[in-house]
Amino acid sequence: MDPSKSQLMQYVPVLMLAVVAVLFSAGTLAASSLLGKRARRSAVKDTAYECGMLPVGEGNTRLSIKFYLVAMLFILFDIEVVFLYPWAVNFKGMIREQPGLIFGSMAGFMVVLFIGYIYALKKGAFDWKQ
Amino acid sequence: MNLYLQYLTALAPEVIVVATALLVLVMDLVLVREKPFAQRVGLTGAIACMGCGLAMVWVELVPCSIHSAMLSVSPLTQWVKVPLLLLTIFAAVLSWNERFTRHAGEYFALLLLAAAGLMLLVSSESLLMIFVALELLSTSLYALAAFDKSGVASSEAALKYFLFGGMSAAFTLFGISLIYGIAGDIQLDVIATRLRGHPVEPVFYAALVMTLVGFAFKLAAAPFHLWAPDVYEGAPTPVASFIASGSKVAAFFVLARILLSAFPGARGTASLGGHLPGWAPLLMVLAVLSMVAGNVAAIVQTNVKRLLAYSAIAHAGYALLALLADRRHALSALLFYTITYAFTVLGAFAVVGVVEESGRKASLADFAGLSRRAPLLSFCMLVFMLSLAGIPPLSGFFGKFYVFTAAADTAPKLSLLWLVVLAVAASAVSLYYYLQVLKQIYAVAPAPASAWPRPALSARVAIVLLAAIVIVLGCVPDLLLGKISELLKSNSF
Repeated sequence: MDPSKSQLMQYVPVLMLAVVAVLFSAGTLAASSLLGKRARRSAVKDTAYECGMLPVGEGNTRLSIKFYLVAMLFILFDIEVVFLYPWAVNFKGMIREQPGLIFGSMAGFMVVLFIGYIYALKKGAFDWKQ
Repeated sequence: MNLYLQYLTALAPEVIVVATALLVLVMDLVLVREKPFAQRVGLTGAIACMGCGLAMVWVELVPCSIHSAMLSVSPLTQWVKVPLLLLTIFAAVLSWNERFTRHAGEYFALLLLAAAGLMLLVSSESLLMIFVALELLSTSLYALAAFDKSGVASSEAALKYFLFGGMSAAFTLFGISLIYGIAGDIQLDVIATRLRGHPVEPVFYAALVMTLVGFAFKLAAAPFHLWAPDVYEGAPTPVASFIASGSKVAAFFVLARILLSAFPGARGTASLGGHLPGWAPLLMVLAVLSMVAGNVAAIVQTNVKRLLAYSAIAHAGYALLALLADRRHALSALLFYTITYAFTVLGAFAVVGVVEESGRKASLADFAGLSRRAPLLSFCMLVFMLSLAGIPPLSGFFGKFYVFTAAADTAPKLSLLWLVVLAVAASAVSLYYYLQVLKQIYAVAPAPASAWPRPALSARVAIVLLAAIVIVLGCVPDLLLGKISELLKSNSF
C-alpha cells in the first residue's frame, strides 16, 4: 500500500467527526427553524434571560481601577505561595549540597516580588479613600 | 552552587537589563516622583541606556558559553544581543523628548523588559523557553503600544496587537505541543536527532504550520500582517520603531534557529517543479504573499508610518528568502539583512518622530519641503529611504544583494530563480513609494507659515548616527559580515 495513503487514512475518523459535528449543528438549527412554531416577539420576550428574574441595570458597568490593582496584588502573592511551597519542600534536602542555589534563587525571586509590592504600595493600591 | 554561578554569569546581560528595569521603576516612584517631568524622563531614560550599555560591555568582554536543555549561550547568540541592545538604546534615546505619557518609570521599565525578552529569545534552546521569552517580549510590547493613553489610536493599536498576538501565540503553543508529541522532547537539538529520517506526515506538517503562525505574526509576514499598519500608525513612534526593528531581528534569528537546528530534515523544496513537503514551501508562500501584498499596498498609503509598515511586510518577505537559501549562507545573509534593516527602519521612524514633534502628523503632505527647514534631517531620511529601496552604496543594497544571490545559489542551482526574480521586481516597485516620500521632502514647496521648532539634540544625534551606520555598513559590509561569518565558522548555532 502507498505509504502516504496509509498516513492519510489515519485521519479518516477525524474527518468523520468533523462531518458529524457540522451536520449535527446545522441539522438542529434547520430542524428548529422548520419544525418550530413561529412565535410572536414582544418586549418581554426579547429581554436577556436572567434565571427568570427581571434584569436590572446595564450589562457593562464600570469598575473602579482599584479592583485591578487588587487583582494584581493577588497574582503577586498567589504566585509567591505557588513557588514557595515546592521550594520549602525541597529546602531541607538541598541546603546541605547547594545552599547558594536554594537560597539565592528564592532570594532573587523575593526581591523581584518585593519591588512589585513597593510599586503597588506607592501607587496607592491600599489607599481606598481617594 | 557552581552551576548556579555559571548560569548567572551566562545570563548576566539579561540579569543586568532586568535589574535595571526594576531600578528604573523604583527610582521613578521613590526618588524623582516630585521632580518636573523632563527631569524624570531624562534620568530614568539615562539609567535605562546605561543598563543596556553595561549589558553590552559584559557581552563583549566576558566570553561565555553554556549549552543546557533550556539555554544555549554561544559566542553567536551573545553577539546577536549587541545589535539588539543597541536598538533598545536608540529607542530609549528617541523616547526622551516624547510627551505621550506621564509614566516615565513604567515606560522605560517595560522597554527594558522587552529587551530582556529579546535577549532571552535569542539564546533559548528549548521550545518552551522560546515561547516564554516570546511572551515576555509580546506582553511588554502590548503595554508599550497602549502607552499614549490620551490617543484613541494608541489604544486601538494595542488592542489589535494584543488580539492578533494572543491568537497567534495560541497557535504556536499548539504547534509546539504537537512537536512534543511527535519528537518526545522540546530541546532543539534533541528534536533534530529524534526526527532524523522522519517523514513529513500530516501531523508533523500541521505542527510546522501552527508553529510558524506565531513567528509569521511577529515578523509581520502576510497573511499574518494585518496588525502591522494599525500598530505602527497608532503606537507611540519610539515604540513603533522598536517593534519594527528589535523584535524583528530576534524573531528572525530564533525562527532560523528552530528551522535550521531542530528541523533540518523537514526542509522540503520550494522550487516550482517537484514539490516536497516541509517548511521551505511554507516559507515560500509567506515570502511571496508578503512581497506582493506589502509592496502593492504600500503604493497607495498617504501616511508615512503606514507606508513603513507595508514596507516592513515586504522586507519580511525578502528576508524569508534568506532562510530558503543553503544553510551555509542562510544565517549570515539573514542576520546581515535584518540587522541593517532594523537600523534603517529605526532611523526612518526617528525622522517621522521628529516631524511629529513639530506639531505635524505623519502624512506625506506633512513632509513637504522638509529639506528647506532641516537639510541634515532630510539627508538622513534620503539615506534611510534609499537604503530601504536597495540603492547602492547603502547597506540596504548589499543586504538585498546578498540575500538574493544566496537564494539564487540554493541547490539545486537556480531552482529558486523565479522567487528571486519576483523579489527583484517587487523591489523595483518599492522604489516608487520610497521616492514619493523623498519627492515630498525635496521637490514640493513647504506649506507657508508653518513653524519648525528645532528638534532636540538627542534625537538629531541619534538620527545622524543611524544614518552613518547605514552608510558605513553599505560601503564596508565586511565590518558586520566578517564578524558574522567568523562566528558561524566556530559554531553552527
